[in-house]
Amino acid sequence: MGASGYILRRLGYGVILLLGVVVLNFLLIHAAPGDPAEVIAGEMGGATQEMMDKIRADYGLDKPLIVQLGLYLGGVVTGDLGESYFFNQPVIELIGARIVPTILLVVAAQMIAITLGVGMGVLAARRPQGAWSAFVSVFSTIGYAAPVFWTGLMLIILFASMLPLFPVEGMESARFSGGPILYALDVLHHLFLPALTLGIIFLAQYARLSRASMIDVLGADYVRTARAKGLSERKVTFKHALRNAVLPIMTVAGIQFGNLISGALLVETVFNWPGMGRLAFDSVLRRDYPTLLGVLFFAALMVVVANLLTDLGYRLADPRIRTGGSRK
Amino acid sequence: MDPLLSVRDLKVEFDTRHGRVTALAGISLDVMPGETLGIVGESGCGKSITALAMMGLIPNPPGHLTDGQIVFEGEDITRASPRRMRQLRGRDISMIFQEPMTSLNPVFTAGDQIAEAIMLHQDVSKKEAWEEAVELLRVVGIPEPRRRAASYPHEMSGGMRQRVMIAMAISCRPKVLIADEPTTALDVTVQAQIFDLMRDIQEKFGVAIVMITHDMGAIAEMADRVAVMYAGRVIEQGRADDILDDPRHPYTSGLIGCIPALGREAASAERLPPLAEIPGVVPPLHLLGAGCAFADRCPLVHDRCRRERPPLAPHGMAAQEFLGGHAVACHAAEREIAA
Repeated sequence: MGASGYILRRLGYGVILLLGVVVLNFLLIHAAPGDPAEVIAGEMGGATQEMMDKIRADYGLDKPLIVQLGLYLGGVVTGDLGESYFFNQPVIELIGARIVPTILLVVAAQMIAITLGVGMGVLAARRPQGAWSAFVSVFSTIGYAAPVFWTGLMLIILFASMLPLFPVEGMESARFSGGPILYALDVLHHLFLPALTLGIIFLAQYARLSRASMIDVLGADYVRTARAKGLSERKVTFKHALRNAVLPIMTVAGIQFGNLISGALLVETVFNWPGMGRLAFDSVLRRDYPTLLGVLFFAALMVVVANLLTDLGYRLADPRIRTGGSRK
Repeated sequence: MDPLLSVRDLKVEFDTRHGRVTALAGISLDVMPGETLGIVGESGCGKSITALAMMGLIPNPPGHLTDGQIVFEGEDITRASPRRMRQLRGRDISMIFQEPMTSLNPVFTAGDQIAEAIMLHQDVSKKEAWEEAVELLRVVGIPEPRRRAASYPHEMSGGMRQRVMIAMAISCRPKVLIADEPTTALDVTVQAQIFDLMRDIQEKFGVAIVMITHDMGAIAEMADRVAVMYAGRVIEQGRADDILDDPRHPYTSGLIGCIPALGREAASAERLPPLAEIPGVVPPLHLLGAGCAFADRCPLVHDRCRRERPPLAPHGMAAQEFLGGHAVACHAAEREIAA
């Protein structure tokens, strides 16, 4: 099967999956207790029965559920996610303003977790009985066990009061003046702590996994062959062994993308990061169903895209998958 | 003629749960230019450790090369720096392994893996190395070498992968090729093809081959000279014809008895102890006593064997020549000669 055929097929699955997610989310939210019309009326400081009826009619809440679903799906297909009950603004605009910071945060966290985690694991695997290896095991257990909001608060305490090196709030400096390069550096500066907080839990996991995977691979026959060629230990480790050891890490990293996005919600709250997490949190409290559905839709979209990219990366990294051969 | 590679009193120890055990208890071997030396023995006798020591690839820890020398063209490579060893490895001394299915890296093409060895040791461009890799694949008898160079290992059969390994091993025209059980994992027809290929390569490039095997049949097929190993020692050594026709050590006789009889002369068969298999197993290295390590399995054992370890002694030959002649470490064989 050619690469383009494979991509098309996977895209098709992705679309079906997304529609399924939309339907499920819609039904789940409408099964939950609470009436949006009452919440809207509450915001207005109370309303008569006539006003309630008008609100329901305006937002289409008086129609049967199945019709509401049909209308919503029709909207989604044409790129219309409805209008926020709270902001009176199209949901797509609300999300559009917040999705970039969230993607930035999630991708940065994933990159920190993978590079540091794999680096730590690989170094630990070179001397599995050594002190560094023991440190990596302990560190990754703690990192994995610690809740993300606790890690975030600890980092805030460390970097806000003890060592004020990094900003702990927001995405950009309040009074910023400078060119685009300085702006990018300013955002990176703000990004560091939230991304590290979100990354640590996954970093710990990747460190453990890559240590185990690397120890396994370093004992493989083809690593002995690489040494027998006369390659340096560095080339043996980083070219011949690592290329094989990262395969299971790629799989796990792809699976973890969903968890990363839900973790981002907490981290955004702790660091006041202007992403979708805060919006999701608030729309739950406000029964702002269109906004909540929109956020969930985009989260699902991000997971589907991430998984597709992971699978494509996997095909590049492992020729056995590419040709559909047996794994030996 | 001076030996190309000379192992002298080599001692290798390993740290294990039972403390430090001796894997090689002072072995001596010579490899002459262009010859095939067979090293034969059961699993655990130290033959693969000997090969890894020649490559400077004893894993450390847990392995320690504690005594002896390995002299390659006048240089003691047990003292060589890691950098110097990397130069020799793959260029002057190269190795092929038992498991062709797993000895090639699954994520690189055959051509890349061969070209990598070429570029490492020779001053050539990537393109030249690739062309050379294609040529080597042709030399080792792979059909459509240009297409195959771009194939990944999982797209090839075991025999083809072993040919790729051989192509890689000879890519820098080594002087010594160590083959550790090169055909054990292959089926019989492919075995014969690989042996043919190795003989061709030897003829074409004049490479000395050290063939490590547990199979006396493979020795009969390939070797000019043979060293029989047991429990970390060489117990019999000599020209392959001498050893196959006139084995002196009961263990060697046992190994030869394990070759399925295909027209072996009745006369020599009568002289062998009737062993279709050798009873028992190699004793664990940490439990070796003072006597002969084979005593518990030996049909000719007597008291002295359990007290005193027999030295590797020349048999009908001046002592200084024994490495070139036929030598055996067995009290029973000595008695027989004395008689």
